[in-house]
Amino acid sequence: MQLTIITDLNKCVGCKSCQVSCKEHNTAGAFGTVPDHDPYTEPDGMWWNRIVGMESGEYPNASVLYLPKACMHCYDAPCVPVCPTGASYKREDNGVVLVDYDSCIGCQLCMWACPYGVREFDEHEGVVKKCTMCIDRIEDDTLPDIERQPACVQSCPTHARTFGDLEDPESEVAKLVAQRQGFTLLPELGARPAVHYLPRRQAPVILDESEVLRIMEERY
Amino acid sequence: MRPTLPLLLMTVLQGLSGGLMISFGVLWWLVPSALPTLDILLWSAFLIAAIGGVASLFHMHKPKAGRYILRRLRTSWLSREALTTGIYVPALGVLVILPHLVPKIPLEYYGLGIVFTGVLGLVAMYVTAMLYATIPAMRSWHTRLTVIAMMLVGIVSGMAVAEGILAVAHVPGAGGRDFHIALLVGIAVLAGIKWMQYRHFLEARQSLRTATGTGMPAAPYRLIDSGTTKLPYRTQTQVGPELAPRRRQMLYVMMGLTLIVVPMALQIFPLQPAELGIRWTSAAIVMVCGAFVERWLFFADVTHSSRVWFGDELKRASSVSSNRVSPDFVRRFRHQDGL
Ligand code: SF4
Ligand code: SF4
Ligand code: SF4
Repeated sequence: MQLTIITDLNKCVGCKSCQVSCKEHNTAGAFGTVPDHDPYTEPDGMWWNRIVGMESGEYPNASVLYLPKACMHCYDAPCVPVCPTGASYKREDNGVVLVDYDSCIGCQLCMWACPYGVREFDEHEGVVKKCTMCIDRIEDDTLPDIERQPACVQSCPTHARTFGDLEDPESEVAKLVAQRQGFTLLPELGARPAVHYLPRRQAPVILDESEVLRIMEERY
Repeated sequence: MRPTLPLLLMTVLQGLSGGLMISFGVLWWLVPSALPTLDILLWSAFLIAAIGGVASLFHMHKPKAGRYILRRLRTSWLSREALTTGIYVPALGVLVILPHLVPKIPLEYYGLGIVFTGVLGLVAMYVTAMLYATIPAMRSWHTRLTVIAMMLVGIVSGMAVAEGILAVAHVPGAGGRDFHIALLVGIAVLAGIKWMQYRHFLEARQSLRTATGTGMPAAPYRLIDSGTTKLPYRTQTQVGPELAPRRRQMLYVMMGLTLIVVPMALQIFPLQPAELGIRWTSAAIVMVCGAFVERWLFFADVTHSSRVWFGDELKRASSVSSNRVSPDFVRRFRHQDGL
């Protein structure tokens, strides 16, 4: 089993609801608190999920692209073997990459090793933290089914994010990746991320009735 | 990334100690009669390594968990570094105090101890360098050059410091001509390697652009929002603000001068015995400064793959927006209206 989150880049509108709900859940949640000791004067604290905004093309043919970026829960996670204490590990049963704060020494080598820059250093506790795929929600069987998914997935207003098991061919995420040419970031670095993105489609061709009639007239 | 003081101290001093230890071994082999004089080198190597070792404790943010550090010996170069350096420093300590505890120690056994500790020093330096060279995400470090450069800086600075210490101890040139020539050759090779490494850093920096981070086909992509990430990237230390071009240039020049040019100049010119001591001591001091500048740049000028999403690339002003009315536009407008 390899749990993953797929983001459809056609649907993401960059609202940052997933970014904020991640922070909200993980600040209040039981697994690991995101430290923001002074959130009003220093809003740029720790975020486990950041939405990157890109502008593409040149005026007047320009558009924007939003890329939600959190831990990719890589198959060959480079952050795991470099960790000297075994604090970073990949779970065999569901493929989620986690950090054991009790054995982390805060050397930050895993932050260097992660190609995606999604690990963050908690200066207050002296340990490295990152997206847990909301493992505390997924595994909490006292929660209603709808809540047993990552906070970011649940909060996405456009349903751009889908959660599931990438290795189950019947799962929605596996089908989306297969049918829509899901891709991963920086594949050349060999981390084999589990998190995929669905590429943007071409803008649809807009034809109005008069245009259709004109073409019909011209050709037939 | 801006290196912390403990990180700088532990990497530079470990190399320096290894270089001094190797110098001690070579000098002992070249001039066995000089052993009592050379003792000071061994002491220096030990003290320097011990300071580096203490600095490494401050590099851990949670030393309490340090007891788990050898758990991942099979995969983690940092675990291996803790092990190899952890063996090297005590071995060096034993080599330092053994002659005082056992005055009549047979020379061949002592020689074996020197070879063993020298090899340990080399292995520790190699393992430390591999820690950096085996991280594919660190585009500037992921090359053999990292290992060669790091080990050479350690060995060559150790040799220069060995000559400097012997000069201070009023036995300049105790190492003899061969050792001195080996040092000059070492500095020259180091110059070449550092030049190649500089080129590699440049290439790594230039090959990563914002456009490559999206997985999209080639197009002019520009980062407009790096996801609430702001300078100085406090929580994401793998990036850090990019060096301003002029500052980078100045630091590289300073490194070239202190690590290569000045020590070489001080060592190479024909010497009057009277000024030998002062020149070699100065060369050693300048070179140690050079080693620190080199290491600071090694960390501060590194390019991490995630830089594509951080975007402290220089902002380009829009080429289309302007407060001025374009003369071209006015001309076209007049033409259209028949004005
Ligand atoms: S994205 Fe980074 S932190 Fe997450 S598993 Fe991959 S290498 Fe590790
Ligand atoms: S910072 Fe913690 S999790 Fe990361 S490599 Fe060091 S010990 Fe492991
Ligand atoms: S919540 Fe959904 S639409 Fe909003 S930024 Fe996140 S993925 Fe995009």
